[in-house]
Amino acid sequence: MSNGHYLIVSYFVVAFVSLCLGLAAYRALRRPFAAIAEAVAGSMRSRLLKRALALSVAMAALLGFLSVSYRGCDMSYEQIVKDRGYLVQKNREQLQHAGNCIAYVVLAWGVVVVVCLVVLRRNEDGEEESPRD
Amino acid sequence: MSPHSIVFLVSFVIVVLLLVLIDRLLRPGLRGLLEEVTGLPAATEFYLRAFVLVIVLVALAALVGAGHGDLKDGAHFMEYVWSIASGLQDMFQNLLIVLLVYVGLITVLMAALRRKH
Repeated sequence: MSNGHYLIVSYFVVAFVSLCLGLAAYRALRRPFAAIAEAVAGSMRSRLLKRALALSVAMAALLGFLSVSYRGCDMSYEQIVKDRGYLVQKNREQLQHAGNCIAYVVLAWGVVVVVCLVVLRRNEDGEEESPRD
Repeated sequence: MSPHSIVFLVSFVIVVLLLVLIDRLLRPGLRGLLEEVTGLPAATEFYLRAFVLVIVLVALAALVGAGHGDLKDGAHFMEYVWSIASGLQDMFQNLLIVLLVYVGLITVLMAALRRKH
């Protein structure tokens, strides 16, 4: 396979793999997150939250992938394609950035779940206190 | 087998062993803490899965991103060791950052959900 073909194939394969990583992360979190969202926001709003989780994780994967530029130090297309090692290194960087971005988004959703749990706890406390009043 | 493949495989085995060790050490205590603090099984499950996801993704990302471009055919044993160590350094750094962020998150969770007595 020539370097030109390798560049085209590897670019789209790595994009697909990055997206699959994001979707795998979403699938791992979907069920417990749906249960929390439903307890806090009801079924209508929980659907919105679940979609937001799916979208944000997929977008983080793509953002990480897209954040790697091949054109470092004003390299021309010919210079980029000439070096197979450089192409492989860029593919590795794309996967690395995608993985890191997904991890950071998962942590950010952890903060969202903290807020959801605080709201849930307040609602429970409010229900417990109201009969005494 | 090329030097790059050897270094990658050895690093991969080390990273997997390390992840299993971290998971075994922290998961039982973390589960107990989360069950006590949140009182919601789904929340416990969410944070445990998020924990595993984050450490696996960050460790594997660092492993994949490590270049090992300094290794040539016929390299000495210690050159392999240095190359593996250089890759592991990135991994430990990233792992430490996300673990600290996770600890911060759990601390906020505990502070926010403490019961008023």
